[in-house]
Amino acid sequence: MDGYIIGTIIKAILVLAIISALAGFGTYLERKVLAFMQRRLGPMHVGPYGLLQLAADGIKLFTKEDFIPSGANRLIFMIAPIITAATAFIALAAVPLLPEFELFGVTVRPIVADLNIGILFVLGMMAAGLYGPLLAGMAQKNKWGLLGAARTAIQFLSYEVVTGLSILAPIMIVGSLSLIDFNNYQSEGIGSWLIWQQPVAFILFLIAGYAETNRTPFDLLEHEAEIVAGYATEYSGMRWGMFFIGEYANMITIGFLASIVFLGGFNSWGFIPGGLAIILKVSFFFFLMLWVRASWPHIRPDQLMWLCWKVLMPLAVINVTLTGLWMMV
Amino acid sequence: METFAFYFFAVSITALFAVTVWSKNILYAMTSLAAGMVLISGLFFILGADFLGVVQLIVYVGAVMALYSFAMMFFDATGEIKEKHSHPGLVFLLGGLSAVVMVVIFAAPVIGASAPSFYPPVEGATNPQAVGLVLFTKYLVPFEVAAVMLLVAMIAGIILAGKKMDTSITEVTDDIGDTNERI
Amino acid sequence: MSLEEFKNRNVGEQNYRLVDVGQTPQTGMEKFEQVVKRAVKLELFTGLKVTFREMFKALFGGQMHTTKYPFEKLPIAPRYRAIHEMKRLLESGHYRCIGCGLCEKICIANCIRMDTRYDENQRKEVSEYTINFGRCIFCGYCAEVCPELAIVHGGRYETASEQRASYSTFEDMLTPLDQLAQQSEFPGFGAVSDDADKKIKKTPLAY
Repeated sequence: MDGYIIGTIIKAILVLAIISALAGFGTYLERKVLAFMQRRLGPMHVGPYGLLQLAADGIKLFTKEDFIPSGANRLIFMIAPIITAATAFIALAAVPLLPEFELFGVTVRPIVADLNIGILFVLGMMAAGLYGPLLAGMAQKNKWGLLGAARTAIQFLSYEVVTGLSILAPIMIVGSLSLIDFNNYQSEGIGSWLIWQQPVAFILFLIAGYAETNRTPFDLLEHEAEIVAGYATEYSGMRWGMFFIGEYANMITIGFLASIVFLGGFNSWGFIPGGLAIILKVSFFFFLMLWVRASWPHIRPDQLMWLCWKVLMPLAVINVTLTGLWMMV
Repeated sequence: METFAFYFFAVSITALFAVTVWSKNILYAMTSLAAGMVLISGLFFILGADFLGVVQLIVYVGAVMALYSFAMMFFDATGEIKEKHSHPGLVFLLGGLSAVVMVVIFAAPVIGASAPSFYPPVEGATNPQAVGLVLFTKYLVPFEVAAVMLLVAMIAGIILAGKKMDTSITEVTDDIGDTNERI
Repeated sequence: MSLEEFKNRNVGEQNYRLVDVGQTPQTGMEKFEQVVKRAVKLELFTGLKVTFREMFKALFGGQMHTTKYPFEKLPIAPRYRAIHEMKRLLESGHYRCIGCGLCEKICIANCIRMDTRYDENQRKEVSEYTINFGRCIFCGYCAEVCPELAIVHGGRYETASEQRASYSTFEDMLTPLDQLAQQSEFPGFGAVSDDADKKIKKTPLAY
């Protein structure tokens, strides 16, 4: 029992450290990839190929003044970024990150908490994460912030239904809510991946995931061209940085979820071992998010609602119904 | 450990809901409501009802988010709100009555504790399966009634909202005479 | 980028054509049809393809557009009007300025100030010459009017300095004596064009 608790604490600290470092590194990758797609070089001057840009940004964020504007609700204003960052990492607790491996004779399961309702927990926690932008926008006495908060609310109410319904069909097929069961279900090579049985659900989940992490086609919350910086208008320094770490951690989480649920998880893939396979898949999803950001324009809030409620939700319902019929026959 | 966790959750939930009731700042009220709802799911986790806990989390996160959007529309979120009490006596009566009813409902299992269970827990069923089994056997009628009720509410909502759904709001021109009258 | 390419970089010969986007859908059904059509035609992936192609070109095709400015500089056009230069006579090394004062006279910003005197050989000598770069609007009239091609606009456009005066004295702008060999006959602003001879008409002597 003691060993279990200590192991869990070590795993939690490791996940926190590694994922927050990766989230920081993600900002560097994003700037680089976006630059390459626009035939620019991106950050180049801090360290070789700008690799130390992350450190420079970190120093800047940490040493900036922690500024709370007058008229803002101090308590809520201070709590809001913490909600975003914390929920993003709590969500990661139920995600199996790598296959089991042996370390010093101990079998390590790289999942902080193996819940048997893992996938619901992750989605629920990520949904709770949207309270960060919402509260941040409402706590500051700034019209752009308020608009950002309003957009958070409508975005949340739009995509949440699609996420749930799209993931329902794979859950019905696997018959479990545990992410490990999802992984084991697809252990027989590429042919057994759920994406072949559920292509519609995969696309719907991906779209909803982009809305959930507010990545580009649905980047309404802090749409620079329309509402300055949305919910983050009045934020600076580390509190603003926490929003960013939360966003990038969420991107990684969505990458893991999509790989585990639809793309065979951490099963070894031909000659590629499982650990490397899932890292490759998550990297692909991360790259896809940057790629999409470089290619596609934003959409308007009303278009998002139209898309989610009038197109994606009926599609998801039809998909669930057909899956149910197919399973009964 | 479990007792400690229970009392921790119980005290925080009560305190948060007290803030919800007494605070005059809409932002504090809403936030404490949301936090309380999230903490209730902790109680479910202690009971071993993981599925219900997560459902509580997901459902109330969304529900309170909708409340936030109303708060955003009607109130200044950063200021205090002047409350209007026109019938304090009536509010006291109705509130007290519903509190009494709630206490009686939740105290009732104490009376019926010795009653035999018609549907004993299924062995080996995982958490979501157990919920499903109960929903589709013992509570089938309430479940269906709730479904019909939600359907009715949904259709009513669509009809209420959908009267002018064919015309875009940006294309609606203001009636100038009307605005003049208002001025 | 060569000078020739650089000069033509913004010339509109890229075969622009109008794209027919069709009618904006009005009814819900038309909108839905549009969505389905676009989804089936995979129009979104064309966008992805374009950005990926550009990335490939940039990384492996050597078509990166970034100029790392302080380290590498783009060529500027020869007729660019930056900080002035004072030229010398190639044979003797004496400055070309004859102290005629035309530049001072024509300067519309009133930023040129010059003083002249006779030296021991009874030649006019420039004793003071300054350009106030806080006022200069780089119109180029001074270079245009100069009969001796003595004051011209050079290519030095990085003019950040602690003092405005850093560039503005006669000695600063004059070609240093040891670099006289590198002084080319200036083609830039203030010079006559290559085909100037052809354009000149003889002044008619009699009508």
